[in-house]
Amino acid sequence: MKVSFSEWAKSGSPWVWLNAGAVAISIIMVVGLLLLIASRGLVHFWPADILQATYSQNNHSIRIIGETVDSERVPATQLRDAGVDVPEGVEEMRRDLMKIGNRDVGGTDFTWVLHDNLSNQQYPEMLFAAERHEWGNFYGYLRALKEGDTVVGQYDGYDKTPEYLALWDKFEASIERAQEIHDSIYQIEKHEIGAINYEIERLRLKQRSLELDGSTDAAAFAEIDARRAELGEEYKVLQDELIDLYGQINRDKIVAEVSGGQTIEIDIAKIVRAFRPNDMGIFAKLGHYGSKLWEFVSDEPREANTEGGIFPAIFGTVLMVIIMSVLVTPFGVIAAVYLREYAKQGFTTRLIRIAVNNLAGVPSIVYGVFGLGFFVYFLGGNIDRLFYPEALPSPTFGTGGLMWASITLALLTVPVVIVATEEGLTRIPRAIREGSLALGATKAETLWKVVLPMASPAMMTGVILAIARAAGEVAPLMLVGVVKLAPNLPLDGNYPFLHLDQKFMHLGFHIYDVGFQSPNVEAARPLVYATALLLVAVIALLNISAVQIRNHLREKYKALEM
Amino acid sequence: MTTDAKTHGIDISSLQRADRNLSLDTETTTLQVKDLRLAYGEKEALHGINMDIPKKRVTAFIGPSGCGKSTLLRCFNRMNDLVDGCNISGQILLDGNNIYDRAVEVADLRRRVGMVFQKPNPFPKSIYENVAYGLRIQGINKKREIDETVEWALKSAALWDEVKDRLHESALGMSGGQQQRLVIARTIAVKPEVLLLDEPASALDPISTLKIEELIHELKNDFTIVIVTHNMQQAARVSDYTAFMYMGDLIEFGVTDTLFTNPEKKQTEDYITGRYG
Repeated sequence: MKVSFSEWAKSGSPWVWLNAGAVAISIIMVVGLLLLIASRGLVHFWPADILQATYSQNNHSIRIIGETVDSERVPATQLRDAGVDVPEGVEEMRRDLMKIGNRDVGGTDFTWVLHDNLSNQQYPEMLFAAERHEWGNFYGYLRALKEGDTVVGQYDGYDKTPEYLALWDKFEASIERAQEIHDSIYQIEKHEIGAINYEIERLRLKQRSLELDGSTDAAAFAEIDARRAELGEEYKVLQDELIDLYGQINRDKIVAEVSGGQTIEIDIAKIVRAFRPNDMGIFAKLGHYGSKLWEFVSDEPREANTEGGIFPAIFGTVLMVIIMSVLVTPFGVIAAVYLREYAKQGFTTRLIRIAVNNLAGVPSIVYGVFGLGFFVYFLGGNIDRLFYPEALPSPTFGTGGLMWASITLALLTVPVVIVATEEGLTRIPRAIREGSLALGATKAETLWKVVLPMASPAMMTGVILAIARAAGEVAPLMLVGVVKLAPNLPLDGNYPFLHLDQKFMHLGFHIYDVGFQSPNVEAARPLVYATALLLVAVIALLNISAVQIRNHLREKYKALEM
Repeated sequence: MTTDAKTHGIDISSLQRADRNLSLDTETTTLQVKDLRLAYGEKEALHGINMDIPKKRVTAFIGPSGCGKSTLLRCFNRMNDLVDGCNISGQILLDGNNIYDRAVEVADLRRRVGMVFQKPNPFPKSIYENVAYGLRIQGINKKREIDETVEWALKSAALWDEVKDRLHESALGMSGGQQQRLVIARTIAVKPEVLLLDEPASALDPISTLKIEELIHELKNDFTIVIVTHNMQQAARVSDYTAFMYMGDLIEFGVTDTLFTNPEKKQTEDYITGRYG
């Protein structure tokens, strides 16, 4: 049966198709975005096989060792212009990006090679990769292991022999030993000496403030000096321990052969982990992958943020969002309650509502500028003058920090909380309010005991929207407290535990920093994707927990069917 | 209304009550309304009402929609204060004191004059907390005292046996009729002197309505009850005195039996025989 177009249009199906199409496109775009960043980011942690090949260019052959990370096709003309020998009749050539590591030997750790010029490609099982605390990855053959100046193991061939495996086991044991010492050094430097430094600094400030007050209390000064001497003693003990540990950690070295054929010595203390990907089975690779992934989310960054983990950035992001929520919720709720419940409805309240709604549309960088000018310089500067004169001229709150960043974002998101709460308050049935008033409750009691609990799901909606907006915001944070590398977490074991004046790291800024400010762009690129994925995951997690709280509240204060 | 004019659609047997010697002249007055006028903005809704509401009796307000009966009821606990642009003149005396006096605390007044609304409006809290709400507002915090009062109130509202095992479950899980009885229990828990019922059964099914009516019968031993109803059979069944209102005026006020069987005013007769309304 033939259906005319106008009939089809009248039936409403085009409308349904249009709507469904819009939804489908949105879903495809979101899923596509997530898949892209997930695939680019997660592949980075997989232990790729190490290629060894002979690379010849312009009648010159070298051995090349490294991981193939990318490949692309380039027009032959471009290569000819660059002075590369390209046979006649070839239009296009494939070139591969190799991660060759060994920045301490060759200067760069990535290089482009023409795929056709690679010959004798193989994946020798004996090749090993080592992640290092500095100079990036190392690729090469293990030749000898030294304890001090004595050689404890040696192997010169390229085959997998028991002899070699014994040497490798010793090497791994040695790495483990160095790692343990490294951990104790870290523990002493970061925590124990860190705590002593912190207390000495506090003593200095205490003394300075006594001096500023013109105090002549000799006993107080003597007490400070005594405590300082005590700390000095403690410090000396730790210092000796450290010197001893450093002596131990630098005992072992390996000798390794690099792609050029020469051998170099590497301190085992510099090695984070060593592995032979070409000799690993799928499960070994999976295990390696898991541990790399765990390192990424739980460890601190190394090498200008291009290696290691991003835990401080995750921590900073979450902490800032939590502080922001704690600040914005009461503020927004109180404002909304006044506006809806107490203020006389009229022209003024309408004007305020319009202003609040428009505030939500102000570009975030403007809030950043405001935060810098008002919070940091004006408020922070005055707080420093009034409460921290002993620390001047170095600023305490007079510089960007966790508190100012949280307050700036709270200001940025307060309109959504106000609007959502007001909406919730209007939806509370009049009958419920009257029921409470009729029992002899005052307006304030009704508000506290009945209306606000019932409006709490709406408030949570506001907080959810605020979190969604704040967690992804970067621009204003760059002005009010985010840094590319913060030496300490803003939450630690030193009194008062939460350091609101400290600068902190943030995932969004980390992406910007690693992606665009990094000296080693090739190494950083996969991390940009991985960090972006993590940022999305963190925001999703924060949102999901807020939604859970809201659902719980909704269930508890289910509104009546009125 | 499609009522038979002869019997006025009223089941006469329901009018058979023990206390047949009722008369407004012999009653003690709880609420005295003196020339009460109420206007919403420019529009006057009550044009000078005068009436004495007797103590520990059930007084029903009947009349067509918009006649001002609910408005008058809401004057008794100053619920109209919440309405913007509402102007009230005249007096309402509760035990001789004007409730519109400046010195009166509205919250105290509302505790003495409780109110139950048309639709059940339990708070989204447990059954127990709903009844305890008014007590907590008064600052009563002793658990034993609250426990006792909650039990008493629920028993008085004929709800105790149905809910005693689930006192701490949400009140929103109850049926409409139970919710309305819970609201009544909540209201009497603070021991008011007057109980205002604003069409308490209009949203309920017949069985629940019957329970509410039985309850009203029980409660009048302790409270002065004023009930607004659309349902004339209900007014006839539950009330001792009935006031008929029309267009903001009190037309007739008298003993229920008399008003329904032998009304003095033509308007009253027209209304109860279903000629309008």
